[in-house]
Amino acid sequence: MKLDGKRVLITGASRGIGAAIAELFANEGAHVAVSARSRAVLQLADRLRAAGLRAEAMQGDIADEAHVRALVQMCRDRLGGLDVLVNNVGVLLSAKLGMIRMEDARRMFEVNVIATINLTQYAIRTFPRGKGGSVINLASIAGSRGIDGISAYSASKAAVIGFTRAAAKELAPQNIRVNAIAPGFVDTDMARQVSPEWFRQRVESIRIGRIGQPNDVARCAVFLASDDAAYVTGQILGVDGSMAV
Amino acid sequence: MTNERLVKCFVEALGVAPDSVTDGLAYNSIKQWDSVGHMALVAAMETEFNIMLDTDEIIALRSVGAAKQILRKHTVAFP
Repeated sequence: MKLDGKRVLITGASRGIGAAIAELFANEGAHVAVSARSRAVLQLADRLRAAGLRAEAMQGDIADEAHVRALVQMCRDRLGGLDVLVNNVGVLLSAKLGMIRMEDARRMFEVNVIATINLTQYAIRTFPRGKGGSVINLASIAGSRGIDGISAYSASKAAVIGFTRAAAKELAPQNIRVNAIAPGFVDTDMARQVSPEWFRQRVESIRIGRIGQPNDVARCAVFLASDDAAYVTGQILGVDGSMAV
Repeated sequence: MTNERLVKCFVEALGVAPDSVTDGLAYNSIKQWDSVGHMALVAAMETEFNIMLDTDEIIALRSVGAAKQILRKHTVAFP
């Protein structure tokens, strides 16, 4: 198993890409801790434990400092620290320019960017001293290329990419690798928030001929978390089936 | 005993001699206590005293004396 013995925290894990990462990581031997606002995250952990896998869960809002502290404390107490952090949680509130509510833009930056920075600061302190670890941020093709109709979301994910590259440089001396995955159009509830016409156009723009599946992203996350990626840091890995934007 | 535990944090995190860990020892005053050493020190203190420091406390952690003040806020007693 590729992640045998790794202790991993995954945010936004109640559904979609986060849940797929949690399930695949647990099946690859990791002891996972999962967090989300929805109760479904508790059920996910129950399901994993029922399958004989190791999983802990905490329900809460990642933008809430008290939840972040409690979450990291849980990782210390139940996992004995962390080797891998997956900053997966994200909010997408779509609106064309001229109709973007500032409260929506702020919420996206608070969850997609500020919470990523904050949790990273807390989590890396629990990484084993001298042995390093891996931080995986979920960016987006919207952040690397820009997508019309979701400019505020694109801006927040571009910030995640900037943070990833800078943090990789800062943490490399401690052997902590920081990478990001930039998914294209992946079949999740978040992707289906958009209009049916927009959805159809996006799928047609994918040259590989199909929409991405959460497991397409999860498999790349396994690679970045594993020792196979021991010399990989500061990279933004596109997982988009050659999507045109 | 508490002081010995704090000294141990500095020794293990920064690789300094125990007798150099005095109240006046300050961040960036020695090459070992740079930003990288600082994070290791924070982790060592959190583990040793089973506490979680917030960002303001980490920024305020500028000397051994400051470390003691911060730990007192977490109800760790020093002589």
